[in-house]
Amino acid sequence: MADSTVIPKDKTELLSTKPSREGWWLPMLVLVMIALVPFARFVDAYNYVLQVGIALLMWVTLTTSWNILGGYTGYISLGHNVFFGIGGYTAALLFTHFGISPFIGSVLAGFVALLLGVLAGFITLRTRGPAFIISTIALLLVTTLWFDNWEFVGGVNGMSLPLIPLPLSFVKVPFYYAMLVAAVGSIWLGYRIAHSKLGLALRAIAQDEVKAEVAGIDTRRLKITAFALSAFFPGVVGAIWGYNLSYLRPLIFFTIAVAAQMVLMAIIGGRGSVAGPVIGAFLIVGLNEVSISQFGGSELNLVITGLILVVVLLFFPMGIVGSLREAGRLPASLDWD
Amino acid sequence: MAELQVAILGLLLGGVFALMASGLTLMFGVMRVVNLAHGAFILLAAYAAFFAHDLFDIDPFISLLVIIPAMFLLGVLVYATLFPRIESSPRYVEMTVLLTFGLAFVLEGLMGFAFTGIFRTANPSYATEAFLIGDLFIPKAQLFASLLSVVLLVGLWAFLRFSRNGSGVRATMQNRSAAQIVGVNVRRVSTISFGIGMALAGASGTLLSFLFPFFPSRHWQWIAILLALIVLGGLGSLKGAIVGALLLAVLSSFVSDIFGPVWAPMTFFLVLFLMLLIRPQGLFGKELRV
Repeated sequence: MADSTVIPKDKTELLSTKPSREGWWLPMLVLVMIALVPFARFVDAYNYVLQVGIALLMWVTLTTSWNILGGYTGYISLGHNVFFGIGGYTAALLFTHFGISPFIGSVLAGFVALLLGVLAGFITLRTRGPAFIISTIALLLVTTLWFDNWEFVGGVNGMSLPLIPLPLSFVKVPFYYAMLVAAVGSIWLGYRIAHSKLGLALRAIAQDEVKAEVAGIDTRRLKITAFALSAFFPGVVGAIWGYNLSYLRPLIFFTIAVAAQMVLMAIIGGRGSVAGPVIGAFLIVGLNEVSISQFGGSELNLVITGLILVVVLLFFPMGIVGSLREAGRLPASLDWD
Repeated sequence: MAELQVAILGLLLGGVFALMASGLTLMFGVMRVVNLAHGAFILLAAYAAFFAHDLFDIDPFISLLVIIPAMFLLGVLVYATLFPRIESSPRYVEMTVLLTFGLAFVLEGLMGFAFTGIFRTANPSYATEAFLIGDLFIPKAQLFASLLSVVLLVGLWAFLRFSRNGSGVRATMQNRSAAQIVGVNVRRVSTISFGIGMALAGASGTLLSFLFPFFPSRHWQWIAILLALIVLGGLGSLKGAIVGALLLAVLSSFVSDIFGPVWAPMTFFLVLFLMLLIRPQGLFGKELRV
């Protein structure tokens, strides 16, 4: 079967789980700069800058989490925004009914997403390849139908949340740092998995599941673990994003375009690498900002998203990190594996 | 009697669902292409039929005669430009999913740009008429659409069974490399099959134009239902797609009757999940390894 053989990787690379410390100053410098952005209070459109930053950090988190399943394990989920939305609604309900701040609620939302990830993994991972991808789409559509018609959370019209009680020039700051914590957390999780026995097993599954099974790897259990871990941080950022917008609608969280963005960012950056999804998120968020300010409409934005996906798949299927690594030109500052 | 009525309406829709799903499952069976853009292409044909009726007063059953060959040619063009490039990719099936995923967004965006997001339905005179047989109410539009679906499906069966190209298609579905060895031109067969799959999408889109209201982003719901159907039937199995479509269309009209029409699509997805738990390879699918 054509789809059980996989991107040929250097065998020794799989075994080199010891990270190199070389070239780490650059990503660290970028991280420090990102952390300092809210102190630049003199810039014009301060809240706009922070809002773009919040969205960027959210996409970094979503894509990095998607990569645990879609990159390392080779199981492409086109319904991963289910966990993003469930997280958002969980925290919103905890907030409106029990007065729990969404910043605390986001952690609980992450665990709810994790549990749902186990359940969803238990069902969808009964199959693989195209049938798996299809069942993740079905998962998304089931969730959309459910939330569209669930009056308790406002159905299609959604629900609104009270604004955060802060002066206008400070409203975005807590969201910015919360997203930064989530983004760093998800990258740390992705990195730790990539350098663990779990990561090794997941890559073995991606390369040849039958051989992995024969080698004594409990593939089903590990795949469900990967699914659940990749659901956690989307739940967390869903909670933060919902509070940041102060309203939640199924259309914001459960549209398949959200999943498409995750897939596009991971693929353009380089699936299966730690740095790839982060680079992809920076690129696509930047591009979206430009295309929305230039063309406005969401229709053309869909066309652009689709076209980029097609072109990248046809010409650079391994993404930026993968292509550079193959050419032996990957700078140490981008090699986080 | 009410149950019989619901079952008949479901069965009539099932014919159309079977036509939609047959193109999709043919593409997977022959070329291992999971065409996530199938729903978007169905809507493209629906728009063509809608505007032909709305602007030029051409009946959808007439515009079929143009739409089917046009979609066949479009299919040949799409296949020839996109798929040979990824043929040697080590993860070919997955590539086809992602590639057509991108294509679906391009089509959705273009349709949204050209035709706006307004709900559309073509309104030929028979769309609101019905035959009454005793107490049974049989809407003409649904009846004509499912009759045409049956004719086209029989035509597809005859093509696969009796024509030379048809046996090439069946051989390729059974074993691609063996077919190549015995002299089937697999590339040609694949291109033709993709064209046929698209022609079937064109036919079902034309029918959809007067059966269901549609707008550009509606194709996700359609493709999700169709994909659920072909996984249920067993990926690549034409028989499975048709049996699955008929069974589930009937089941979903009962769900719609009991719980309300918004829950009808839920039937397909929940049955899919149930099927994955019991029999992951689907009704007529081949056993998965492992």
